[in-house]
Amino acid sequence: MTGVLPEAAVTPALRADGFAEDAVRERARLGTAGAFPPRASYGRALFGAAGTRPADGIDAMRLCPPVFMPERLEKLIDLMREPMYGDVALDTVIGGLASPLPVFVSAFGSTQVASADLGMAVSAQAGRLGIPMVIGENVVPVNGYGRLEDAPRSLLGRIRAYAGEVGDGTGGVVVQQSTEDADAEVWNLVYSDPSARPLLDSGRLGFELKVGQGAKPGLGGMTVLDDAAAAKVAQQYAIDPVLGDGAVLRCSSPGTFTPEILLHQIRLMRNNFPRARVWVKLHPGRDVGQAAAVAWQAGADAVTVDGAEGGTGWAPWAFLDHVGLPLAECLRRVGTHSSCLLATGRMWEGTRAVKSLALGASAVGLGRAALLAADADARAGLVRLVECLALEMRLLISALGKYAARAVGPEDVWTPGSEE
Amino acid sequence: MSGPHGNDASGDAPELPGSPREHLSSPITQAVLRVQHRLLTAAREHLCERGFTELLAPIIGPVTDPGCRGSKQVDIDYYGTRYKLMTSAILYKQASLLAFDRIFYVAPCVRLEPLETCHTGRHLAQFHQLDIEIAGASRDEAMQVAEDVVAAAVRRVVTELPGELDTLGRDPGAFTDLLARPFERRTHAEAVADLHGMGYDQNPAAEIEWPAEVILSAKTSRPFFVTDYPKGSRGFYDRESRECPGLLRNFDLIAPEGYGELCSGSEREYEHRRLVARIRETGENPAKYGWYLEMARDGIPASAGFGIGVERLTRYVAGLPAVWQASAYPKVPGVVSP
Repeated sequence: MTGVLPEAAVTPALRADGFAEDAVRERARLGTAGAFPPRASYGRALFGAAGTRPADGIDAMRLCPPVFMPERLEKLIDLMREPMYGDVALDTVIGGLASPLPVFVSAFGSTQVASADLGMAVSAQAGRLGIPMVIGENVVPVNGYGRLEDAPRSLLGRIRAYAGEVGDGTGGVVVQQSTEDADAEVWNLVYSDPSARPLLDSGRLGFELKVGQGAKPGLGGMTVLDDAAAAKVAQQYAIDPVLGDGAVLRCSSPGTFTPEILLHQIRLMRNNFPRARVWVKLHPGRDVGQAAAVAWQAGADAVTVDGAEGGTGWAPWAFLDHVGLPLAECLRRVGTHSSCLLATGRMWEGTRAVKSLALGASAVGLGRAALLAADADARAGLVRLVECLALEMRLLISALGKYAARAVGPEDVWTPGSEE
Repeated sequence: MSGPHGNDASGDAPELPGSPREHLSSPITQAVLRVQHRLLTAAREHLCERGFTELLAPIIGPVTDPGCRGSKQVDIDYYGTRYKLMTSAILYKQASLLAFDRIFYVAPCVRLEPLETCHTGRHLAQFHQLDIEIAGASRDEAMQVAEDVVAAAVRRVVTELPGELDTLGRDPGAFTDLLARPFERRTHAEAVADLHGMGYDQNPAAEIEWPAEVILSAKTSRPFFVTDYPKGSRGFYDRESRECPGLLRNFDLIAPEGYGELCSGSEREYEHRRLVARIRETGENPAKYGWYLEMARDGIPASAGFGIGVERLTRYVAGLPAVWQASAYPKVPGVVSP
């Protein structure tokens, strides 16, 4: 890709302030061993709770196993032996796509952080894991599609990297389209492309309507470009010279939604792409519950709620700490439902994932964690991170006396200050 | 009653076109193209006698019809600006009413249809529409014009080209019911209920699926209209009913014997505010429709109109297994050909 600022000008190395970067990198290196304290300390150190300050409401909650476990008894009868954590079934269906565990790779788009070889490394590893992967907005307008040019960072490059590794029967690729992507007809392009056909024919192609995102609720995507690159996309995006030093802010429009607009956009997706799954991504808005209900009513296969957390692009300081609902409150406002709800935002380890499932999510998305893991090891970092996450989820879910990911519920979570 | 698949929607997929020499020198192709020529001649005469002005259709523009089920538009580099080949001339049809009240085109259209349409027997990536727009008309008036022009064109072929129909093995008796008229009408909701009654799982919020249309089509002996499609199944320019929000004041004309859709039409949205909102509902970026929205803001006539697929009408009249046989230079979706 040309035109994005040279690495040194934007990101000295991939970094994720305020995120558990070191821990993610360690798991990307160690895999399942990362779920435990360092082995060298075994027998020499005593361990207890770290007492770190929780980052948000979900982190502040605790998973609380009961003493009496009737579901463990059921499993015992089923297995005719005492169940262990390895007996927890994690396989599930995420927005119409089968997955070996309730985890997917959430969208990251055209930005510098995501569009280097990292996007390809993540795609290949997500394919190997057989978990669904979302490809973010703006990849086509910024990086190209890759049909008539050999552009590995293009949309098609990522789809190929994924499809080249994925086995039969699980996973899938979900392609996001923003308002600006609509000009490039990203969905029409993918739906009619020979390269995407194996995924389409096996029911493993989806499209995600991006209504908003967690890092900057109410705003559209933002990235930093140099002047030359900005000139190329100036017809499609707003370009704002607020950053100085030859760099400009490239802004997508957030897009206008009312219940009527959302309902009919989803219906049109189902009408135009009857063989593709339809996903909808919401920002942590105060009416997130109503928006999710509208999306499901219109027939969305999955609704993703992106907690007010982070992203790969560029967000104003004001938004990072002060705008948008925390994920726990989003899940509370969506409330009881029987549809597929996906949660994203600072996911990387088992407790946050299992708590999110207990609060109503069907699966969780790895965003920054997937990028950091692939950055730590382009060949297997994400695979190891997810293997560690799977182990941790099995340990936690079995401790709750349950043996399927979908069996956890609000009774498994204790919130500080609550009566019970 | 014969049909494109022997009245059976599950019939074998027709073979693909041969070389241009094989195709164009075939007596079948030549008979088909004479039928097509006569259909167009008759339609032109019929419309001109009724006060329509034929305009030459636009081929490129900064924006084109987005309301085409899953098909990709063709981008062209117009002096550094992205232009589109027309998927349909709908936006220009509305503009044309600033000049004349009743217009038509025989308009070329290009749509990169999804690959799954390669074997439907009824999709072409390049085709033509007999495109008609009438200022101040209601849906009923537009449907009457559609019925009349189809009947006039078919009558001319039946009376003037018996030899061609014989060459094609097409029984002129297939058109007796059509010429007796009128065409039946049913709503989208009724069509969905019929399909559900037959055990077909049709999404009530979407267009009638292609196999479903073949099923409905195979049960009749004359064309019929389907009206009142749900919003969310069509482009932004199909007018939403003010009395029944969520339903569109539109129609399709479906050929009998399993040949399927011939024509789509509607009353049009023409008020600026409604157009902008409808464009958003279809996920489109209003900014790219600048010229059209500015024109609408300054006022365009209310209208109704439709487009008849010329190759599809030819296929039906000639009784062909596949629509590509009704094109001199067929482009079957996804098939690289001259």
